[in-house]
Formats: sequence, C-alpha cells, structure tokens
Amino acid sequence: MTNSIGEIRNADFLFVIGSNTSEAHPIIAMEMKRAVRRGATMVVADPRKIWMSTIAEKHLQLKPGCDVWLLNAMAHVICEEGLVDEAFVAENTEGFEAVRETVKRYSPEAAEEHTGISAEDIRWVARKYATTEKAGIYYTLGITEHTHGTDNVYALANLVLMTGHLGKPSSGMNPLRGQNNVQGANDAGATPIFLPGYQRVDDPEAHARYEEAWGTTFPSEPGLNLNVMMKEVGKSIKGLFVMGEDVVLSEPNCMELEKGMNAAEFVVVQDAFFNETCRFADVVFPASVFAEKEGVFTNSERRVQRVRKAVEPPGEAREDWRILIDLANASGADWSFDSPAEVYDELARDADKFSGISHARLDATVELPKTGLQWPCPSPEHPGTTFLHEEGILRGKGLFQAVDYRPPAELPDEDYGLLLSTGRTLYHYNCATQTRRESGLDAKQSEAWVEMHPRDAKKRGIEDRDLVEISTRRGSIQVRALYSRQVQPRCIWMPLHFFEARANVITNDAGDPVTDTAEYKVCAAEVRKVEEGEVREGLFPGTFYGVDAPA
Amino acid sequence: MIERSEADLPKRAPRSIQLDGREMAFQAGETILEVAQRAGVEIPTLCHDPRLEPAGACRTCLVEVEGQRRLLPACKTPAQDGAEVRTETERVDRHRKTLFALYLTDHPQDPEVAERGAPNQLLEMAARYEAPRDWGFMESLRDNRDADRNPYIHFNADTCISCARCTRYCEEVEGVSAISLAGRGAETTIATADNLSLLDTTCEMCGGCVDVCPTGAMGEKMPLTREAKPERELTKVRSTCNFCGVGCQLDLNVDPDGNDGRGEVVKVTSPPAGTTTNDGNLCVKGRFAYDFIHHEDRITSPLVRNEAGELVPTSWENALSVAAAGLHGVSDRHGANALGFVSSSRCTMEENYLVQKLSRAVFKTNNIHQCAAT
Repeated sequence: MTNSIGEIRNADFLFVIGSNTSEAHPIIAMEMKRAVRRGATMVVADPRKIWMSTIAEKHLQLKPGCDVWLLNAMAHVICEEGLVDEAFVAENTEGFEAVRETVKRYSPEAAEEHTGISAEDIRWVARKYATTEKAGIYYTLGITEHTHGTDNVYALANLVLMTGHLGKPSSGMNPLRGQNNVQGANDAGATPIFLPGYQRVDDPEAHARYEEAWGTTFPSEPGLNLNVMMKEVGKSIKGLFVMGEDVVLSEPNCMELEKGMNAAEFVVVQDAFFNETCRFADVVFPASVFAEKEGVFTNSERRVQRVRKAVEPPGEAREDWRILIDLANASGADWSFDSPAEVYDELARDADKFSGISHARLDATVELPKTGLQWPCPSPEHPGTTFLHEEGILRGKGLFQAVDYRPPAELPDEDYGLLLSTGRTLYHYNCATQTRRESGLDAKQSEAWVEMHPRDAKKRGIEDRDLVEISTRRGSIQVRALYSRQVQPRCIWMPLHFFEARANVITNDAGDPVTDTAEYKVCAAEVRKVEEGEVREGLFPGTFYGVDAPA
Repeated sequence: MIERSEADLPKRAPRSIQLDGREMAFQAGETILEVAQRAGVEIPTLCHDPRLEPAGACRTCLVEVEGQRRLLPACKTPAQDGAEVRTETERVDRHRKTLFALYLTDHPQDPEVAERGAPNQLLEMAARYEAPRDWGFMESLRDNRDADRNPYIHFNADTCISCARCTRYCEEVEGVSAISLAGRGAETTIATADNLSLLDTTCEMCGGCVDVCPTGAMGEKMPLTREAKPERELTKVRSTCNFCGVGCQLDLNVDPDGNDGRGEVVKVTSPPAGTTTNDGNLCVKGRFAYDFIHHEDRITSPLVRNEAGELVPTSWENALSVAAAGLHGVSDRHGANALGFVSSSRCTMEENYLVQKLSRAVFKTNNIHQCAAT
C-alpha cells in the first residue's frame, strides 16, 4: 500500500476493484464503511455482488477477466476530457505518450460491449476519480490472480500516475495483502529474485555484500518462483522443504502437483498441523503457531509489528526459528542466533529499509498513538513512513506501461459452458487448517458450496442445495449448489477453503507471464447434478444475507 | 466519531474553555469530554466510545457549565469559547451517586454474578464514587435471548444498562445493524429482528458488541462455557493477528496455569480504540478463532518415514540428521538447483529470513519462495 490503513477513513473517493473487502479484509472494510458514512463516494468493480457493493454509489459488475478493458476505457475518458494532471505527468513520470496512444483504442462504448458496463458509468467513474483530490484505489487478488494480472496492475498504475493521485494522504494505490506476513516474507528475501530488502540477487554489488556478510558463496542466478517450482516438482525439483504452507491444497491444478510430489525423492515438511502435504513427507518437523513465538509480522501498510510468545508449544513442538537454526547446523552450518531479536538485527544490518527498526524499538512503541513502525525506516531516529512517494516517486520517474487487453487463458466453450471463479469467505482462512478447527466458524460455514445463478441451475435441472459435480479440463469435485444472484448468469463462484471439495483440483495453473501467478479467478467449468439436496435447518452457507437468499 | 485531522479543520483564532479553573485551548468541533481527555481530567463515561457518534445516553458524564441551569453531558456538548466547565463539584458528585444508585436497583451487585468473565465498569464506578447500594432491588425486566444458538456471543440482560454502545457499534462501525434496542423504559433490551439467533441475522460475529459493552452484558460464550477464569486473573500478551494482512493488534488473554503450566489462551480481546491500526476493532477470526492453538490435532513429535513407508515418531536429533542428509543427498545426486524451498507468509519475518539464508547460504540455491506468488 502506498497509503496507510488509517488514511482510508479520510478518503473522498474509493475505487475498490477485485477486492471482497468485507470478507477478506474486514477491518479495512470497517474503515471504508466509515469513509462512506462520512460522505465519501465508493465505487466497487467486481463480477459478483458483494457486501461492499450494497453500500457503493455504483457497482460495476463487469465480466470476469475484462479489467483491462474497463481500466483503459477510464484512462481513455481521462485523456479525452482533459483530466490528466499534466504537471505531475511532466515532472514525475515517463512513457505517458504510449499510454495515451494505446487507450485511444479503448472507447467507453467499445468497453461496454466487452465488460457489460455502460459507457455512461465508465465515464462517470473516470471523471469522479480524476477530479477528486483524495482518491484511492484498493485492490487484491481479483486483479492479480489472472494470466493478465500484471497488465491489470499496470493499467491501475497508469490511472494513478496520469491523475497524480500519489504521494498524498488518502490518495494512492493500495494492494491489500492477503496473509498476515506476506509483506514481511518478501521483505525478508524469501523470494527467488530478491535478497532481503528487495536487493536483486543478480546485482553483483548486493550479491557480493551478502557473500561477505554470510562468509560463504551462493549462486547469483535467480531461482524458480513458486508456481514454476511446483510444476517442476518430481521433474527438475527432486527435493523439497516446505514450511507452513499446504502446497498440495493451495496450488492450482493440484492433482498434477500430487503426481510430482510422489515422484520427488525427498520432502521435508515443517508445520503445526498434519496437512495434506505431510502425506508426501519423508520428515515432518512439529512447528509452532504465532502465539508460541517471538518475532515480527509486517502488514499491508508496511507496518512492522511484534508477535509475542504467550504460551509454550505442545509436546516436543518447537518454534520455527529454532528448527531452522537446528536444521542449518545439522546440515553443516554454524549459526549461533539465540533469539529472533538477533535474527532481526542481522536482517536489518544489511537491508537499509528496515535498519532503523529493532525488537527493542518496537516494544517501546506500544504506548505510542500507533503501535509498530512503517518502513522505510533507515535509522533509529527515523519515525517511519506513513505514505510513499511523498518527495517524488521512489524509483525516480513513475513509469507508464501501455497494456492491451488479452483474454484469460481459458474461457467457457461448448464443453464447459460456465465461468468459474474462486475466492475467500469471512469465516475461513485459506486452507482452513486453523479456522475449521474452530467450532463456531464451522457452525456458520461447515461445508463447501458453489454459487449458481438460478437460470443456469434450472437449465441443468439443479435445485437449490442439490449435490453437484463441478468439472473442468483438470478434474472434478462435488459440492452443494446454492442458488445465488450474487453471481452473474453463466458465472459460478466457490470458496477455496474446504479440503473435501478442493477448488484447486479444478483451477487453471496457467500463469501470468511476468509473475507466474496462476489464474485462480477464471476457468471454464461445467456443473451437473449428483443427488437431491435437503435444506439443512438454520445452516446458511452463503456469504451475506439478502442478496443470495434462495429464489 | 470521525477522526479529525488538523488539516481538515478551518483555521480560526485559538479558542479556550476554563476546565476546573484551568485554561484549555480546543479545536472547533471538539466536545468537552475530548478536551478533558486531552487535559488528563477524568470524567466517567459508560456509553461513550471514540469510534461512535456521541449518544449522551448513560448520563454518567454530566458536568456543570456556568450559566446553564442543568448539568450537561460532556460527551455531546461542544466546547464553546469562554465556557467555564466544572467536573468535580458537590452537585456533580450528588448526581453521580444518585445515577449509579439507580442503575444498581436492577443490576446484580455480586461480582460473581455481575462479572460474567469481563470486568464490570458500572460496579467499579459505583464503588469509586461511593454510590449508595441500599436503594432497593428489583429483578431486571429486560428480555434475554437465551435460545440464541450462536457459538460466540452471549447476551446477559440482567447486567445490560441500555447504553446502546453495542447497537451503535453494530450500526456505525460494522455497518450490519444485526442488533438494536427494543422495548420501552425498564424493559428496553438488545434484540435481533424477530428474536432470531445471531447466526441467522446479518451479524458477522465481529464481537465488537462484546468489546464495547461496559458491563459485560454482551459477553463471550466460550470462556463462560469452559469456565475460564475471569478476565482480571488472566495475563494479557499484546501480539499481531495471524490471519489476513491488516495486522490487527490483539491481546491474547492467557491463563498461565492452563495446559499443565504451558499456558492456555482462553480469550482474545482488542486493545483500546485509537491505539492501533485496527482502532480497537477485530473480525470474527481475530477475536474468536483461537481454538487451533491448543487443538488436539497439533503435531507434537518429529516424524520420520520408516521402511514400511509409515511416518513414525522419532527424536529431534534423528529427524534433523535424516532431513539434512536427505536434502544434501538430492543436492549431491542432482545439483543444488534440484532443491526447492517453500517458505511461509504465515511465519515471522525472522523465520523467512532464516529459510532464505538456509536455502542460499547452506544449500546454495535461489529456489526459495512462498505463497506471495498467488
């Protein structure tokens, strides 16, 4: 996020795209609700009706995968109507002319045909966004989990740059991070391209510095990213170490991965629970959950915050950091960290962005108005950074990237006539290793379902709550069908949390050409009835009340 | 209450009030209570919450303002230039004693009964201001909702004081209006539409009603049914939620004697409003989903696959040496890039640093990533 969560409530215009905020980021949703209550205008762009769209000024219910059409058409309007912040563009950016040329081809009228959103609405939203001073964009995986995910992000960034909505409070580009520490994991260098602090591993200077700091040599060619690595398991990847992730459940097209896991020679899993991936492990290390260890998580707004040990791990389970040190030393290293604070200090020593932060300094922030510190925070006196790009754009000049629409890798056809998207719900979390072990959450949502428009369901002889089979070119799963008008006709949606109805048996593992992020949001699917269902009394598996009550 | 930043306010000449004889400058729009809080002057409140529009419902914060015939609620009265405000006078004290004594006439006074787990601020205030406790007692006339089968939130009408903090939170902050005031007078209670279970309403189980309730009338079910110790006997450990990327701060309430002395998380509460990114708010997962910590499915011993192909418990020493040998073996046979390391965006920054260092410095490969790719 270029802004902070606390700035959301003061925004005057919120463009929420590809984010089911009230379910995936409920506390950020509260801030948005507060802004709307204050009088801000919110526009939600999402193929589904969601809670947030019920309080939005406009809901742009676009067809899945057409984001570039919508965003380029908004840019078209901004250029055409002279709403570009020319001074900002001249001073802070490069490459605008290519974008101006490209978006000429994306008239709102043409976009209407592709996206299903009226040209009038596109014009209204574009004008409103461009002319509101405090206008923020908020997006999540609905933007990125596509084979054109990077294009979507570029198209959004173009809007931000051409309107100068950057470097100001409540005005910026805000991806909402999905996991507690996805920011911190990247910051710490758990990526194939970057050493800690986004220093490229193939940058000779950074690489040499780390070789010296660690007193050893290591390769400088970037490694494989996760999606590619998972496709290579059992092929070029023969040995796998997996910490705290159930890859077999969460990777797309997971039956292929299972074959690979069977073919792998050696697999080590470190986890607090015996998950699906453990079935393929040669060694399993019993690990800890957050309440059992010290450390830091870094949230969506780059705020580094403390995690503190409250209880001891059960049995012989150990804190993950201890296991990693033990494994390194058993493998021939000589690591002598005594605490996570010492590990943090080593990390911060060689990565400027975090070097002003330490466990001791964070512990002293508990009494401050806001807990934690936001990086960049290069020195112990630095107060941290609330919003980015205040004194000019960080990389020097903001780079426009002209993008053209590319269709998703797989769209409905004669054999598979429906478009399947997957997503999260409020009551569960990812593989639900934790949340399905919680009786209360299970009472609210105890089984998987697929949301179908009644028209599509009836055409296939499916009644509300029938057990159905969803199949794609990759496999099939069985779930309960739920009549829903949250989804558009010819689109279906299901949650990804349930291991007995693993959405990722059927999702498409086609990846974005830059990030390799898989297209979890669009694939072609067909649904057929398996057996009659019964309405379980009181059990309401749907996501919010009202819109999706049975027809 | 909407947070006002200085930049948003019109610039005007400085204004001030006399607060207990002390001159205090204020910003346009600030209430007497907000000025007093900045000055460190304590005015008791029950229905007030900085996240909500002032209601002036509980009458606890009444103060004397020179020239006003009646006492005024500090939470709802804007500061006005030159006003003389007194918060500790004989008249204010008499009002507080009377008010608390009246509240107590249908409120259980035995802390065992009144404190169903959470501290009861009404009882604390009544004691602090030495309110009389002998003004008679009648059973509460408020309707309970005992049949509500929702798993988390218990409504104990006996200790409800109808301050509407919970219903206002539900409407103004969470925005779902699942609960509302119903009935009149002494029968006023907190109700759902058609007396439905919260499970069947728009409620999203954020538990904000539990958090804001000053008397514990909105309470947490699970600690009650598990007979956990009352909140004041628990140790609070401030930490960061382990679910989504918002980074909510929460307090793990630990019974240090639980789990044979390993400690047990029996409850999660939120820090005060205004002190953290989450502004004292939590969602259903952050507040209620902590059962996994002590779940019986936790792996409690290292496991190694034996010759029969079964995973069997083993010692740490053996597990570590088998793992090290196995990973080195793959590397020796096929090269370092035949290894892949999957780290975790659920683990700490330090742990992610260690995995990438393990991958690079020990096993000589940059094949290291985590689910940030998805």
